[in-house]
Amino acid sequence: MTDTLVRPETPVALDSVDRAALIDSVRRSLADRCTQADVRRIMDSETGHDPALWRALAEIGVTGLTAPESAGGAGLGAIELELIMEEAGAALLPAPLISTAIATVLLDGERLASIVDGSRIAAVAFAGTHDWTGRSDVRIAGDRLSGTARFVPDAAIADTILVATDDAVFAVDRGDVDVTPLPVFDRTRRMADVAFHGPATRIGDASRVAAARDIGIVALAGEQAGAARRMFELTVAYATERHQFGRAIGSFQAIKHMAADLLLESESATSAARDAARQVAEGSATKDAAVPLAAFACADAFVRVAKDGIQMHGGIAFTWDHPAHLYMRRARSGAQLFGDSSHWRERYIRALEAQA
Amino acid sequence: MTSDHLQAEVDAWLATHWQGLPAHHESFGRDPRSAWLAKVRDAGWAVPRWDAEWGGRNLSNERAKIVERAFAAVGAPGAGQDRSNLWANTALAHATDSFKRQIVPQLLAGEVGMCLLYSEPGAGSDLAAVRTRAEKVDGGWRINGQKVWTSGARVADYGMLIARTDWDVPKHRGISFFFLPMKQDGVEVRPLRQITDEAHFNEVFITDAFVPEENLLGPLNGGWGVLQTALAYERSVMGDAARGPRSGAGGPKGDHSLLGLAREAGRLDEAVVRQDVAQVIAWRVLNKLNTARAKAEMAQGTSSPIMSLGKLAMSRILHEEARVRTMLLGSESLLEGPEHPRAEDANFLAFNAYFTSIGGGTDQIQRNIIGERVLGLPKEPEVDRTIPFREVRAG
Ligand SMILES: Cc1cc2nc3c(=O)[nH]c(=O)nc-3n(C[C@H](O)[C@H](O)[C@H](O)COP(=O)(O)OP(=O)(O)OC[C@H]3O[C@@H](n4cnc5c(N)ncnc54)[C@H](O)[C@@H]3O)c2cc1C
Repeated sequence: MTDTLVRPETPVALDSVDRAALIDSVRRSLADRCTQADVRRIMDSETGHDPALWRALAEIGVTGLTAPESAGGAGLGAIELELIMEEAGAALLPAPLISTAIATVLLDGERLASIVDGSRIAAVAFAGTHDWTGRSDVRIAGDRLSGTARFVPDAAIADTILVATDDAVFAVDRGDVDVTPLPVFDRTRRMADVAFHGPATRIGDASRVAAARDIGIVALAGEQAGAARRMFELTVAYATERHQFGRAIGSFQAIKHMAADLLLESESATSAARDAARQVAEGSATKDAAVPLAAFACADAFVRVAKDGIQMHGGIAFTWDHPAHLYMRRARSGAQLFGDSSHWRERYIRALEAQA
Repeated sequence: MTSDHLQAEVDAWLATHWQGLPAHHESFGRDPRSAWLAKVRDAGWAVPRWDAEWGGRNLSNERAKIVERAFAAVGAPGAGQDRSNLWANTALAHATDSFKRQIVPQLLAGEVGMCLLYSEPGAGSDLAAVRTRAEKVDGGWRINGQKVWTSGARVADYGMLIARTDWDVPKHRGISFFFLPMKQDGVEVRPLRQITDEAHFNEVFITDAFVPEENLLGPLNGGWGVLQTALAYERSVMGDAARGPRSGAGGPKGDHSLLGLAREAGRLDEAVVRQDVAQVIAWRVLNKLNTARAKAEMAQGTSSPIMSLGKLAMSRILHEEARVRTMLLGSESLLEGPEHPRAEDANFLAFNAYFTSIGGGTDQIQRNIIGERVLGLPKEPEVDRTIPFREVRAG
């Protein structure tokens, strides 16, 4: 069965009041259900996933944020997705939001509706030869897939695995593949290897793959920008409270100057993520530069803020109980998720060359 | 009036008046474009957000942007100086009404040349330590002292001067802010040769020079506050201006964008070169995006602290761009002279980057400001903050 690949509805544009209300409802929900204690509980669980939290997010519409209204979604676009991801990043939300956003671009019909209402979860493997990671080795013969997609986020909890190859997108039920969860360093972002050895449903050609990847990067960039800002705020607060030599450590220039540089990093990440989201939403002619720019600028900024943030905290941040390492783990895992920063700088300069 | 009407009006005005300008611009001294700028001023486009009383049109920020965009679309300068003209904004905020009426229109049209008389041999980063003195005399003030690093002093008609008016109070509280007329016997300007081999900045020796009463800006002994407004404007403009290299004056003009230079140098296929070029271009774009966000968040007339990030970002961009240009040129960067404009550009930039990282407050001071004013981190202890300036150690 091949679903039709037309997406007739254009995203709804929210005004600033509605947008603020949406963000506020997500923020409140995360404050209730995704405290640091929750993050740690979920991180320590076997699956790294909390179905109750996911249901709650589905109820306020987060799982269907960018899905069309006909599929039960909110019909919003990349701009709102990015802003919501800033909140999710700040809270270190361990949930398959990025996978869901990507799947929303690839899916239609029933499959999409069940993702939107939160009853099913989709994971996505990018397995084309144009893929930069060299991680996957998936072969197609007719409508059968073989080989392995590596490091697929959320695969172990997914009901459906989507595979985006060079010329088609396939859907496979979880029961028809072998999923091997990986012992990941960042336990708030679970990944698994997925081995294929049987039938798959071709759900469309490759025309949506680039758009799906763009959405994934916008979502990740938003997550990184929001997480960088929160880690930065924690650091500044600590530098104000912690006293040594009879004064707050934030009054020492060594600390103050690092803080000023980190502010530049975290504000730049926010600018980059929001600009990429806007350009994707508007289908701008220069989005092929804006998306890679956000990919490396946000990844690099978050790594730097997380890293220097630990240094500025001193020994306390080296303890398991302090949240700093959770941010550092997130920063490091996000920086590899869609390829590393050098890869994206290369894609950025290629886009600039193409524009010139 | 609707936005459409405004758009139509400004477009029509530009269609009638704008014929282009010779491409020359000096940021100090009398502006060679002043005939054009005067027209812009008289039409009210120079400062659209200001009151009509001061030559503006009382427009909201949104609508003022329509004006600025219309000017930008045809490449005409002079609009939107309410965001960028350091001199006019400082005067508008702090000058006496009578002096404002005289000076503001001239500043908007670039009819008077200006310079900044802040730094002294003993007061650079620590501007509150100025020792130039202003003493009350009949009808005004008598000034004595020495200033240094004064850009544009030779062509300036006025200098924005900070001088000490009370020596018996702590240093920040005894300073006043003046518009000093430069063309008078008591003001001697000596050019200083710079590391770029130019001589834009100078030493200024002030001996019994006179400032009329009405040229005092802000309250007597309240000059520190005025200086803060002026510095905030200066720094935001420095972070905003996409200062590039001096375009190879006189020489053959190649494509001097970083990407173009890498291509010309035949090195655009080297992975490391591509990474470096991409990173510098990215920083420039990020700085523009930050500035756009800061401006969008900024209410009209106030200075945004986030704007002070721009100057710090620009320092990094310029120093790094100079490094990458030099790398791209290789041994060509050893040369100079009009036949080697690319080398001149790279070498000039390597030095001129300090204009941004030292001028207008060093990067270190900028980080202190961001840490303290934006992030609210505790201030550094200042040992001389509370003692009368007379007792402060200098040197
Ligand atoms: C190209 C150029 C043009 C200029 N034009 C003008 C002009 O038109 N008018 C004008 O008035 N001035 C001008 N200046 C002067 C400029 O503002 C000063 O040079 C600058 O503020 C630094 O002062 P200083 O040179 O006395 O250095 P210092 O203050 O002596 O600083 C020396 C070093 O110590 C560091 N330092 C000092 N205090 C601190 C602190 N509290 N914390 C950390 N580090 C510190 C500085 O960052 C610097 O690295 C210009 C300078 C340049 C380079």
